[in-house]
Amino acid sequence: MSTIGLLRTIFSHKILTSNVIQTPSLNKSPFIVGFFLNHDQVRTMSRVKRRTTHPPYWHVLKNPQKVDDKISADNLRFVREVIQENYKNKSPLKPSELQIEKSEWDPKTKRSGVIARNIGMQYMWEKDGKKVKCTVLHVLDNHVIRYIPPEEYVKTMIGSKFFKYKKPLGCLVVGAEARNPERFTKQYCNLFASVGLMPKKTLSRFIITPNAALPPCTPITAGHFVVGQAVDISGKTIDYGFQGVVKRWGFKGGPASHGATKFHRRGGTIGTGRDKARVWPGQKMPGHMGSERRFSRGLKIMRINMKYNVIYVKGTVPGATNTIVRIFDTVLPLRKLKEAPPHPTYFPPEDGTQPEEDIWDSSLHVFGSPSISV
Amino acid sequence: MLRSLVSQTFRQGLVHSFFRRNAASLSESVVVQNPVETSEEAGEKSVSNQKNSDESGTTVVVAPPEFRFMYPEFLPDPKMERRNKLKEKLERMDMLQRRSVIEIPEFYTGSIMAVTVADSNSPNKFARFVGICIQRGGSGLRAWFILRNVVDRQGVEILYEMYCPLIQKIEVLRLERRLDESLLYLRDALPEYSTFPFEMEPERRLNNSVVPLNPIKVKLRPRPWLERWERQDLQGVQDLNLPQRFYDRAKEVAKPWEKYDLMLQYRKTIPAEEQEKIYAEVHSQLQQQDLKRKIRRRRGPNSEQ
Amino acid sequence: MTTSASRRMLLSNFNPDTRSEVSSSFYQRTRTFKAIMAFSVQNFARIMQFSVPFSRSFHQCQPLNQIQLLTRLRVVDNSPIGKEAMIEGRPPKCIHVYNPTRIGRIGDKVLVAIKGQKKKAVIVGLKQKQSPFIPKFDSNNIVLIEDNGSPIGTRIHVPVPSILRKILKERSVAKKIDFTKLLSICTKFV
Repeated sequence: MSTIGLLRTIFSHKILTSNVIQTPSLNKSPFIVGFFLNHDQVRTMSRVKRRTTHPPYWHVLKNPQKVDDKISADNLRFVREVIQENYKNKSPLKPSELQIEKSEWDPKTKRSGVIARNIGMQYMWEKDGKKVKCTVLHVLDNHVIRYIPPEEYVKTMIGSKFFKYKKPLGCLVVGAEARNPERFTKQYCNLFASVGLMPKKTLSRFIITPNAALPPCTPITAGHFVVGQAVDISGKTIDYGFQGVVKRWGFKGGPASHGATKFHRRGGTIGTGRDKARVWPGQKMPGHMGSERRFSRGLKIMRINMKYNVIYVKGTVPGATNTIVRIFDTVLPLRKLKEAPPHPTYFPPEDGTQPEEDIWDSSLHVFGSPSISV
Repeated sequence: MLRSLVSQTFRQGLVHSFFRRNAASLSESVVVQNPVETSEEAGEKSVSNQKNSDESGTTVVVAPPEFRFMYPEFLPDPKMERRNKLKEKLERMDMLQRRSVIEIPEFYTGSIMAVTVADSNSPNKFARFVGICIQRGGSGLRAWFILRNVVDRQGVEILYEMYCPLIQKIEVLRLERRLDESLLYLRDALPEYSTFPFEMEPERRLNNSVVPLNPIKVKLRPRPWLERWERQDLQGVQDLNLPQRFYDRAKEVAKPWEKYDLMLQYRKTIPAEEQEKIYAEVHSQLQQQDLKRKIRRRRGPNSEQ
Repeated sequence: MTTSASRRMLLSNFNPDTRSEVSSSFYQRTRTFKAIMAFSVQNFARIMQFSVPFSRSFHQCQPLNQIQLLTRLRVVDNSPIGKEAMIEGRPPKCIHVYNPTRIGRIGDKVLVAIKGQKKKAVIVGLKQKQSPFIPKFDSNNIVLIEDNGSPIGTRIHVPVPSILRKILKERSVAKKIDFTKLLSICTKFV
C-alpha cells in the first residue's frame, strides 16, 4: 500500500466499512467468537461487583470490529446510494399497526420515559430575585422501536427476574440519535428494519403499563412532560478511575505534619481485633470511583422549549456535560403526578395550531419581562 | 514526503490562527464605538458595512471586530468539556431577551459605574452604588463585575451579576480603560485611587470617540499586601520599592515561556473564526436594541416609560 | 521587633489614614535588620542549592479571611473603650462566635477581648468574599453592644450593609435582646 493510501485510511472516516457489503466470513471471524465467549465467563462475577464496562452478552454486537480498508471509491459511492434508497420514505409498517388505542390516564399509569442529553447548567431567576441553577436537557430524536407486551416480557431474562413476585408490566424500546448504518453491524441494523428507521445510537427500555403503550415509529418530544412536574433522572456518573479513600469516601486522612510518616491520605484501620477479628462487608476502601448508574429524583421542570426540544430542570443530574441521561415521571409519592399529563405521549394539535414555543414555570422571572422591584 | 506536507499545512494553519488572534488583540488598543448617528443613516451603514457579498453570492453578516471587547460575555466558557453549541445558543437568546429590557452599556475594567438594584431592606426599595469596575468575568448569564469605592474612609466592594433581574439600571459615569485587565491591586493602593463621589455626573461622550486609556500609575501601600504584586507584571502601579530579593524571586517563579505556548492559548480562548460566528448571530439584534434606545432618548425622558 | 512597633503595625492595619506613615517609619527602622536577614537568607540559599531545593513552608493561596477564634477586629463605633483600644493599637480579639459553625457572618454576635475586658459585639462588615449584591469591606468591622443588645456608642462612622436591617430584626427577641437600636445609630447603608 502506498503512502497516499495509508494517509487516506487514517484521515478519511469515509473508509469505514459498511455492513451491507461485508462478507459473511468477516462476521464469523474468530475475534468476534472470542468476544462472545468472554461474556459467558463474566457471569461468575463477584458478589460486590459494582459495575460492568461492557454490554450484556445477549445484546447484539453493535459496532463492526474490523475496518475494510480496501474498499474502492466506486464501491463506497454505491454503498451510499443503497443506504439512501433503503431509508427513503419506506416503512414496512401497515397503517393498522399505527393506530393508538385511546385510554384514560390514572395515577397508577406508568408512562414511557425519554432519552436526553445533558448539555450544561444555566442560571435563571425567580420572581423574588432568587437564583435558580438549572440543568439543560436536550431531548434527542426519540422514536419508539417496539412494544413488548407483559406476557412476552416476563419470559425474557431481565423480565423474569424483575417480575418474579410482581404483576408483570410491558416494555417499550425507545431509540435516540439516528446514525449512519455504515457504522453499525448488520445484526444491529436489523433491529430497526421492522420499523424502517435509521439505526439509533442509543437504545433504552422503559417499563410501562399496557395502557401507555405506543405504536412503533412514534416520536417522543419534550412535550411528553409538563412544566411544574417532578421527574427522576438517571445517568452514568463521572468516571474518576481508581481513587483513594479521601476522594472516594471523604475520609479525613492523616495530619500533614507532627511526625506523620506515610500517613497523609490513608484510611487507617479496616477491622477490629478480639472476637470479631475480620473485615466487615461494605468496608469503605480505595477502589474504582464513579461510572455508575445513579438517579436524582424529584427534580422540578422549570421551563420547556418546544422548538428546540429542551427541558430545564432545577438542580443537578448525574454525569458530566454532554452525556446521555434518561428522564422518567417521578416515583416519589408526594411529588407524583396528580393531574393527567399528555397520555400516552404528546402529539401536536390536529387543527394545525402551533403550540407555545417557550413555556415557563409561574415562579420564574421571564427574561423578556421588566426588572423585579421589591 | 506526503506526511511532512500534511504536517506543514497543519502547522501553517496553527500559525495562521495565532496571527489572527494576535491581530484581534492588537485592535484592542483602538476601540472605536460603533458609529450610529440617526436611524436612517445607521440602517444604511449597517447594510453597507456588515453585509459583504461572498464569492458564492450568499450574504454574510460580519460583526464589527470591537464587539469581542464590548460584549465579552457572549463568548462561551472556553473549557472544552463544558461546551455545547445548542446550550450556548439558547443562553445567548436569553441574554438578548434580558438586554431588550435593560440597557447594559459598554464598559471596561477601570470604568466608573453606578448600579441601581432593587433592595427590599432599604426604605425607598432601591440601592444605588457608585464605584470603579476592578474586575469583570463570567460567560453567558453568569457574567459578573465588581465595583469598588471608598466610602467614609472604608473600602467597599460589591459583586454584581450582570443579568440578574434585580438590577434596575446600569450607568457608566466615565468610560475608560486602565493599563491592566484586573485592578485588584486597588485594594492595596492608597484610598484616594478608589474614592469616587456618589453624586458624580455622567460624562458626555461623542458618539465616535475612542475609549480613552487612562495611563495612571497607582501608588501601593508598603507591605504586607493581599497578594504578591511584584510577581504579576503589573503596568498600572508605581515602583514598588522592594528589596532586590523580591524581584529575584519573582524572576525565578516567572513563566515567560507561556506566551509561546500555542496549545495553552488555544485552550484558554475561543478561536477567532468561532467568535466571528457568534457575534454575527447576535450583532443585528444588539444594534436594533441600541437604535431603539437612541430614538427613545432623543424623544425625551417622558416617553421612556 | 519592639512591642510598641508591632502594636503600631496592628493599628496601622485598621486605620487606612495613618497606616502608610506609621509603617514606612517602621520599615526604615527595621531596614538594617532586614538587610542582615536577606543576606543570611541568600547565603543559605546558595549553600542549599546543591543539596535540596530551597522552599518555604507557608501558604501560597489567598486567605479565607474568616472571623473565627482570635481574629483581630475593628471597632467602628464611637464608644470610649473601643476608641481607646483602636488608638492604642490593641484592637479587640474575637474569643467566641455565637453560632453553631463558629465562623462569624454578617449580623452574628461575637464575644471580644478588649482592653482586658470581655464585651459583646455585632459583626457589621466582613473582609471575606460575599455573595452577589452584598458588600465586602476592607476590614472586619464590629459594633460593641451591651447584654440587652443596645449599642455602647452613639454613632457608627462607616457604611454598613443594608441586609443588616433584615438580619438584626430577625435575631431580636422581644423583651430579651433588641438589636434594632444599633440600626438607628448607623450613618450610611450600602
